[in-house]
Amino acid sequence: MATYSPSRRRVIFALALTSVLLLTLDLRGNQVFDAARSGFGLIFRPVNRASEVATAPVVRLWRAYREFDDLEEENRLLRAQIDSQRSAEISAQNAIIENQDLLALEGLESLAAYGSVTGRLVGQSPSNFDQQVEIDRGALHGIRVGMAAINEAGLVGKVTSVSPQSSIIMLVTDPSYAVPVKVLAPQEPSDTVTATTVAVASETSANDPLQATTSEVETTSTTTTTTTMPVVVRETGVLRGQGNDRLPRVFFVASGTGFGRIEVGDTVFTAGGSTSLAPPNIPIGRVANIITRAGTAGQELEIEPTADLQRLQFVRVMLYQPLSEVAG
Amino acid sequence: MNQVPARVWVLRVALVGLVLLGLQTTITTELRPFGVVVQLMLAFAASAGAASGPGEGALAGFVLGIMYDLATGTPIGATALALAVGGYAAGWGRQYRIEPKWWILAGFTSFGAVVGETMVPLVRVLIGETGLFGDRLLIVLPVVGVSTALLSIVLIPVARWALVVRPSEIRVQSADA
Repeated sequence: MATYSPSRRRVIFALALTSVLLLTLDLRGNQVFDAARSGFGLIFRPVNRASEVATAPVVRLWRAYREFDDLEEENRLLRAQIDSQRSAEISAQNAIIENQDLLALEGLESLAAYGSVTGRLVGQSPSNFDQQVEIDRGALHGIRVGMAAINEAGLVGKVTSVSPQSSIIMLVTDPSYAVPVKVLAPQEPSDTVTATTVAVASETSANDPLQATTSEVETTSTTTTTTTMPVVVRETGVLRGQGNDRLPRVFFVASGTGFGRIEVGDTVFTAGGSTSLAPPNIPIGRVANIITRAGTAGQELEIEPTADLQRLQFVRVMLYQPLSEVAG
Repeated sequence: MNQVPARVWVLRVALVGLVLLGLQTTITTELRPFGVVVQLMLAFAASAGAASGPGEGALAGFVLGIMYDLATGTPIGATALALAVGGYAAGWGRQYRIEPKWWILAGFTSFGAVVGETMVPLVRVLIGETGLFGDRLLIVLPVVGVSTALLSIVLIPVARWALVVRPSEIRVQSADA
């Protein structure tokens, strides 16, 4: 019968070596490990489900205790916000339809052109260092590693691991997350006002005794207003997650003409491109802070994501793969 | 060291690990004291070390870490190494005490958990990930340490059962060490 009686130092040394070997093999890509993950996932699924059911009352109680006041306040604010946004929504929908028509007419890419799979969140990362969530849709539903995950508000993250019935999504706040982005800074249309003043001197008539010694100047003013079309400054860079308690940042590849014109509140979208795993024009968030670094390091932008990553319920995985991936 | 059939303790550790992994991926992700996820798997690895010794703690941590890596999609071996070191560190102090009191064991467990949790970002940095070391560690490590110390009151008896450690064996083993 096999027994274990490990010599302490040798044991930890052997385990460290084994771990490094496993890490190396896994990071290089190994089908055996992928199969092991899928197999373990099948074994673990019922245990996880049972744990969910068993702990649900405790979790609900905890949530009720922690979040009731916040939810009540948030609910009140959201109702007010919904009222104020109803009219804006109708206009926005009209604009979206027009935009999609135009994109289709010009043969350009649009988010509506891609299929998607909606999954429910079934778990969060149990680590203090990873920002990941798990959804109940996987390879059987067409999801592949690298696909972008969004919700109604914007970009959520990307798929990093897929098993037949579930997928793990790395959130945009994870330090390992990176995606090419563009920052759009709409400049206010400026009104140019031109004022022309024409002075007309009217001579008095010699026959009029009352005005014989006076002369009068009549002034006519003309104002011309010229409205210029809005200018959108477009800067591209790479958005990287910074961890759970810090906002993601945009690092610029090179200084462009737009520097200094990007302001807090400007919008950030995915840039797309042949090598980007995310399709273009997915909203990510707004510029929350502009960090100017010393020397030639340039600017960095802190981005407040539009998607509330703390309260995700459902996530939509875009069934989009860039041409480079499809060809590979 | 006690001579225990390998299949017995591996099976028991895996069984306990599966239950703890279920709890780790459900309840601990919701109940976050100070925003920190309590590390049940690490706590059990450290408890195994504190209950039985550094070798057993390291082996139990390795098995639990492999299960964690398989379930969560982290690179296989990363958490295994961190938990193995955590289990070893917890057992390191244990070998110099004969029948330590429960609060001393809790201290060993806490120490092992802090070492193990520090190893997690360290290992990940070694494989090329960035941004894992920061101010947040100043909150994470104390919370993980304290929570593990509290959990050890429950987990050390479970670890003794899983590793088939009897009180008499603890006495003899400690005296040998």
